[in-house]
Amino acid sequence: MNQAIAPKAETAKVDKAGGMSIGQLLLEGRAFFALILIIAVFSYLSPNYFTVANFLIMASHVAIYGILAIGMLLVILNGGIDLSVGSILALCGVVAGAMMQGVELSAFGVILYPPVWAVVVLTCLFGAFVGAINGILVAWFRVPAFVATLGVMYVARGIALLQTNGLTYNNLSGRPELGNTGFDWLGFNRLAGVPISVIVLTVIALLAGLMLARSAFGRWLYASGGNERAADLSGVPVKRVKITVYTLSGILSAIAGLVLSSQLTSAGPTAGSTYELTAIAAVVVGGAALTGGRGTVRGTMLGAFVIGFLSDGLVIIGVSSYWQTVFTGSVIVLAVLMNTIQYGSGARKG
Amino acid sequence: MLKSFQKFMLAAVATGLMTTAAMADGLISIIVTDPANPYWRTEGEVAKKTAEGLGYKANVAAHKGDTNTESTLIDTAITNKSAAIILDPANADGSVGAVKKAVAAGIPVILVNAEINQEGLAKAQLVSNNAQGAALGAETWISMVGEKGTYVELFGNPADNNAATRSNGYETVITQYPDMKKVGREVANWDRTQGYQKMQSLLQANPNINGVIAGNDEMALGAIAALKEAGKLDKVKVGGFDGSPDAVAAIKSGEMQYTVLQPVAVFSAEAVKQADSFIKTGKTGAATEKQLFDCLLITKDNVDKYTGPFTLSQ
Repeated sequence: MNQAIAPKAETAKVDKAGGMSIGQLLLEGRAFFALILIIAVFSYLSPNYFTVANFLIMASHVAIYGILAIGMLLVILNGGIDLSVGSILALCGVVAGAMMQGVELSAFGVILYPPVWAVVVLTCLFGAFVGAINGILVAWFRVPAFVATLGVMYVARGIALLQTNGLTYNNLSGRPELGNTGFDWLGFNRLAGVPISVIVLTVIALLAGLMLARSAFGRWLYASGGNERAADLSGVPVKRVKITVYTLSGILSAIAGLVLSSQLTSAGPTAGSTYELTAIAAVVVGGAALTGGRGTVRGTMLGAFVIGFLSDGLVIIGVSSYWQTVFTGSVIVLAVLMNTIQYGSGARKG
Repeated sequence: MLKSFQKFMLAAVATGLMTTAAMADGLISIIVTDPANPYWRTEGEVAKKTAEGLGYKANVAAHKGDTNTESTLIDTAITNKSAAIILDPANADGSVGAVKKAVAAGIPVILVNAEINQEGLAKAQLVSNNAQGAALGAETWISMVGEKGTYVELFGNPADNNAATRSNGYETVITQYPDMKKVGREVANWDRTQGYQKMQSLLQANPNINGVIAGNDEMALGAIAALKEAGKLDKVKVGGFDGSPDAVAAIKSGEMQYTVLQPVAVFSAEAVKQADSFIKTGKTGAATEKQLFDCLLITKDNVDKYTGPFTLSQ
């Protein structure tokens, strides 16, 4: 496929005045065509792949990474990076688990069992808090995003392990007499046959897309990512935008942590290790530029589905898990290569 | 573009991927922890061979201790319409949900090596008799290290019940000798590198110990590497648990004192046979759900009877 693209990219430059050529069309929609190709290949290799049930299950697997990827997209659009999303996911899952097990108030001699909606809200607030720490480190203290989020990644993971002593919180389904049942609703239930996690992902993707395309905040985000100095001089509240994106990333990690703990009805401190790398991969495959200022929610979602459907497809046809990592890595490199071809050929003129 | 597409297809088929060709009796999905560890690799390979010998197709996948990956692999086994699932659970409590999913889809699940804390879900749970093995190992350790002195312990993954079972077994035996004191205990998660690093720290804190007892061979081998590096291997005696080929080599060369063999080759094959029996007759053929398999001791005296990975010929 690579050999076919290069000469067509030349013709794309020539045809620029006359609109979209085949090459440009393929390049623009590469994530979409990659997804179609993957579905076609695996449907041919296994009869179990191309069924509605399988697609819904694969979509529910993608949901966790997809939610993280949307948060990662917001941060990357701002020119930063967030390596702590996997650890925040685990920490928030553990915090939710701790609340479901009962909060002991020794001063009053009572154990509080918050209802599930309160657990969800408090967990999201906690995720926002950790995200805000990231944001403040990067915006006010000017710690490079890579370093700040790396540090928070270790600290969050450590706190999660300390809180549980390495074990997991189990039996999060709650007890009716305590009024805190319903935690597994997020993970186990389906609305009209679609898993709730997929619906959560769709809602978040739609909201994020609307925010990026239609709101002032979205425009500020693209501006500060594309050229921070210029945006700052134009009156964009760059620092506030920075802190907000990291906070949003933290909230989305908390939601992903809740969905994951709900799917497994157990919250472990080791959950989510290396999920940040998959999130970054999804954003990159979707066409975003790691330097900031370019990328869309639609692209990120396609990227997440490409990686997810590819991994699940390889497992379904029985390929060794070591080949899966080879394939995933190749897809990422190919995606970045095509990013360079699309944006590197002097697209920025005037 | 068409040519490279065709080439890709041919390459994919040629690398021996599972195709939709005739499935004789069905598919048995085998899910182990991490084939990088010889114990789990043998677990997967023996199960696969036994399944193929009985006429099934078999797949081996790894969850690496992550319950989410395990859940995904169970989903895949269900999608592939497996006839049975042989699973080494990642977490005694956290894996219950995944097993429930498989049972709800009508697929019999047989657990090997580790248990889950709920009966009535899996059709059988085949584990080594870790308590007996730990007691056996600890007695041997005392006889080799002596009844006086100090020692440290390397503990396995806390989410695996076997870690606590073995540690308690060691504790029960060694505390009967009050002059042998434990001066350190670290969690090394069954991993050789972590065993190495934790051992180095323990040596820094306690330079004059007499012995090390580990929850498994990989951690013991890591400890041996650390002791070699510190030049203390001749003064400190190390004991392991598993019976892996690397440990047996270490026993032959005198670096490790003993190991306790887990009959993984035996119960892995037995698990597949019980799955086959359940598929064909609706019963596994075993008397109870939880089945314990006794462990055997390997020391320098009987090390030449070790004829294959995790196999001691009688």
